[in-house]
Formats: sequence, C-alpha cells, structure tokens
Amino acid sequence: MSVLRWWWGLLLAFALLAVGRVFLPLPFANEIMIFSLYTMGCNYLLGRVGFISFGQPAYLAVGAYAAAFYLFYVGSNPYVGILVGIAGGMMASLIIGPLFVRLRGDYFALVNLALAVIIFYLMQKVLAPITHGDNGLWFLTNLDSTPVLDLTRPEQFFIFSFLVVFALWAFYKYLDDTIFGACCLATKINEDKLRFLGYSSFTIRLVAFVIANTTTALAGALYAVYLGFVSPEITSPARAADPVVVTILGGVGTLYGPIVGAIVYTGMKDVLSKILGNWELVIGFVLVFIMLAGEKGIWGTLAPWLQKLMLRTAGGATDQAGGGR
Amino acid sequence: MINLQLLSSGIIFGLSLGSIFFLMTIGLSLCFGLMRIISLDQLLYYSVGAYITFSAGALLGNIWLGVLCGVIVAGLAALAVERIVFRRIYERDLPFTMITSFGVLIGGVGVIKYFWGLVPRPVSEPIAARIDIIGTDIPVYRLVIVAMAVLVYAGIWLFLNRTIIGKAIRAGTEDVEHVEGLGINVYRLFTITFVIAGGLSGLAGGLYAPLIMVDPNMGLDVLAFVFMVVIIGGLGSIKGTLVSSFLVGQVVSIGSLVYAPLAQMAPFAIMLLILLVRPRGLFGSQLLKR
Repeated sequence: MSVLRWWWGLLLAFALLAVGRVFLPLPFANEIMIFSLYTMGCNYLLGRVGFISFGQPAYLAVGAYAAAFYLFYVGSNPYVGILVGIAGGMMASLIIGPLFVRLRGDYFALVNLALAVIIFYLMQKVLAPITHGDNGLWFLTNLDSTPVLDLTRPEQFFIFSFLVVFALWAFYKYLDDTIFGACCLATKINEDKLRFLGYSSFTIRLVAFVIANTTTALAGALYAVYLGFVSPEITSPARAADPVVVTILGGVGTLYGPIVGAIVYTGMKDVLSKILGNWELVIGFVLVFIMLAGEKGIWGTLAPWLQKLMLRTAGGATDQAGGGR
Repeated sequence: MINLQLLSSGIIFGLSLGSIFFLMTIGLSLCFGLMRIISLDQLLYYSVGAYITFSAGALLGNIWLGVLCGVIVAGLAALAVERIVFRRIYERDLPFTMITSFGVLIGGVGVIKYFWGLVPRPVSEPIAARIDIIGTDIPVYRLVIVAMAVLVYAGIWLFLNRTIIGKAIRAGTEDVEHVEGLGINVYRLFTITFVIAGGLSGLAGGLYAPLIMVDPNMGLDVLAFVFMVVIIGGLGSIKGTLVSSFLVGQVVSIGSLVYAPLAQMAPFAIMLLILLVRPRGLFGSQLLKR
C-alpha cells in the first residue's frame, strides 16, 4: 500500500488534475471522477471487510434520488442537494445495515443485488407519481449557480468532484492506519480472533457498511447534480456489476485501484463500445480473464513494479551521494 | 374483492410460475450443494435454452423439438464453460466464483446479442388448448409446465438417491475428501453436476420462452427472483428450492391480483422477514467452504 509516500500522492493527484483538465474531454473526466467515487465504497467493502456487494447501484440510486427530490421539489442549491443525498444514503444504510451485515458473505452479495432490483422497481413503478417513472426527474434548469465553484458549469464541477475524490481518498488512506481499519481487515481474515480480542464484529461491519455506502450515495448525488437528471436506469440490474468490475479491474483493496479502474473502464467503454458495439462481450471476457489471471487487477500488478522502479532510483541517488563524499 | 374464479386462475398461474422458478434455480442450487460455487452463469444457459428453442423451433417447426435442442445446447455450453473456466476455480472462495460466473453471464449476454440481435422475439405456444377448472379457463400449457417441474424434481430425487453416481454426488456434498479417498474422480462428478444444472436451466428457458418474449437481457431480468428464491429456500438445498419457488410463485401471482406493484415487492419483503428469523434461509445448511 505504501508504494508512494503521501506527498507523492498529493503531487500525483494534482498532476493528474492538470493532465485530466488539459488532455481529457471534460465529460469524460467528470465521468471518471464520479465513477472512482462510486467504486471506492465497493472497493472498501470488498478489499477490507470481505463483503462483495452486487447491490451498489441501490445506494447510488438512493443518493441520486434523495438529491433529485430536494432539487426538484424543494430547493435549488446544488450543494444542499448533495448534502441531502449523503444524508439519504447514510440513513438508508443505517436502516438496512443491521439486517444485512449479519449475513454470511454469499447471502450478502445475493441480497444486495435483490435490493438493487427492488429499488429499480420502486422508482420505476411504485413511486412513479413522485419519480415520474422511466421519464425521470429533470431539474437542470432549477439549479442555482453558486459564487465559488459553480456546479452548473462542467469545468468547475470537475474541480469540485476532484477535490471530493481526493478528500475521500485521503480519508480511506487515513482509515487504513486507524485501529478501526485494522479491525475491518480482521473481520475479513479472522473473525473469531477479533471477537476473542473483545471487538464486536457486528458493529465494525455496520460502520464499514455505512461508510462505504454513504460514499456510494455521495457519488449518486454528484451524478444527479452533474447530469441534472435522474432516471431508474442508474440502478438497472444490467449495470449492477459495474462497480465490482471496476474494483477488480483496478485491483481489490488498493487505494489507487478505484481511480485506475475507473479511468480504464470508462476509457474502454468509450473506445471499444464505439468500435465493437457490443459492450457486454468485452467486459465479460475482461472480467473472467482478470479473475483467472490472478485477480490482482491493473494497479495490483503495476504497484510492485513501480515500487521496484522507485527503490532503484532512490538507491541510485544515495549511491551517488555516497560517492561524492 | 377477489372472486373464486380469479383466485383459482391466480393459484394455477402461480403454480406454473413457481415451476419455472424451480427449474431456473435448481441449477444454482445443485452447483452450490456439491461444488460450493455460486454459478450465476446458470442464467446464461437459461437464455441460451430459450434462444435455441426459438431458433430450432422455427427451423424444425416443432417447439418441443426446439426445447430438446435448447436443453442439449445449454448442457454443451455448460460443459464448455466448466472445462474452460470453472475447472480452474473450484478451490477458490465463494465471492470469487460469484464474480467470475457473473463475468461469464455478462459475456454470454454479449454473445447472444451478437448472434440474435437486440430485438425481442416471440415464440409460439406449443399447446393452444385450454381447459376448464372450476369455471376458469386455464391454458393447458401452464399445467404441462407444472408437470414438467414435478417430473424434474422426481427425476433429481431418483438420480441422487437411487443411482451410484447420484449417491457419490450426495456423499461429495458431505465430504469431498472422503469421496476422493474412495477412488472416485470428484472432478468428473463436478462436470456431470454442472452439465445437468446447465441443461435444467436450459429447460427452464425453453419452457418459459413461449410465455414471454426471448430477449438478450432475459437472464438479467429474472436475476432478482432467482436470488430471492435461492435465499428464501437456503443455498444448496433442493427441497428448500422447491418450497421457496412455489412460495414465491404464489406470492407473485396472488400479490399481483391484489395490487400490481406487490408482484415485485412482496417476495422481497418475505425474503427480508425470513432472513431476520433465519439468516440462512428456510432449509439452508451450516456447510461452509470445504
């Protein structure tokens, strides 16, 4: 995990910001930002707690719809909308969490996907009078522009979403160093021992569940604000695997994994689906290939290599210094 | 209020729906029971079975022959996937097999889109006759589906309890190492189970195809119901799968008579309730990864 020192991370991040702003088309860059946020929660659940969640779209939809309801019916400040989205996601995961985290890993995965599908029906059919069904809620013109970081303008939205992604990245990095982070890992590796040490694995899992799903809900709220539009499509079962695929593509349990995965995934989606017109085929084969090739993902494969490279340059530098003296 | 006719047709509709659910989930259940893998790609063989039924049925002019072809092709597809993919991952933990099989499912949907295109296709109903039960018109085909499910359940029971291979498979679900110690090739048992499971999923697709349109995403559309059935019944239990698929079938059918959105919401609510009381489903075992 400590491939790069924290200030390297900071430097790299801002270099990426500049590169992204200059070279990437803006919608593409924004998509990457939101997608990496979306994946971070799933990555944490899978890599640290050992829960695979095929139901992340459910929490994405909760965040997106909470923000959308506020922006469509009540107010017009996008920042408040995002906060409402976060609050909605947190509340939803606090209500569902105690029931779900008791389950064994395999049941957890199945139940979550069922939840995503149910939320899809709920938004499409049952709550249709409020959510306008498949037509979705449009509120792009409702949004107020704010003085600093005007979210209605894509280039400023990019900076904002970048800051959010960076903050959460730092938060997850910090979490890894805390006792709580260690406990999370312990629930994955050896739950009995953790209980023996006097920790409640239920509480730890619940907190991790809430943190991860609130992150996902935040991604949903950002989606809503960015597109100015929400429809049940975001939680459709066909897209349920997206965050899991990106997590595995990037490298499970690595801090940079979600970002690398999101860049590659969005890039592949843009380029390959234009050429082949058959996106499922590509992603299915890529997923199976990565799983069979050792499930380390892109960052998981790159990291040791990068580490070696950096050690070598650092070692070379000290050698030179020694020789000079 | 609901009258008797509506209710009886609802119950029979639920029975046929439950039979389809049973055929769809039995493959997943068998695979989990023996190999301890979650094989989401069973839903791919379900779609393959439906599509082959559509194509072969149109080609041969007989839907039943089409269903037979569907079962065979689905079994062959399962054999190929088992040889190429699952052979390598039996030893891995559950989430791993689940992600891999989801990859197979998604990739397979892509292959189906490549061959048959995106447009939903209708399949003609093989038996147009209707029968009168308590004053309600019931299509005979739905009763045939129920009979098929009962036959399949009986067949699986006989296979597992009366044949030597079936007994070896049952022993394998208890303790793989002991079965290996007896000189039985466990991996061959795995292959046999996987192909049977794939064929049964194909049968579900072929039988269900005339009642719905076949479209590339049909496997993903039923995903939620399959999961609910498996969770309510308990992973790996064949009896549990039977009970819960008929339960879910009835709930969907009668729920939709009372209030349309209930069809989707009620099974989910039941699943949550059952999980509250029994986190491993009605008949779920304590068995963990060996």
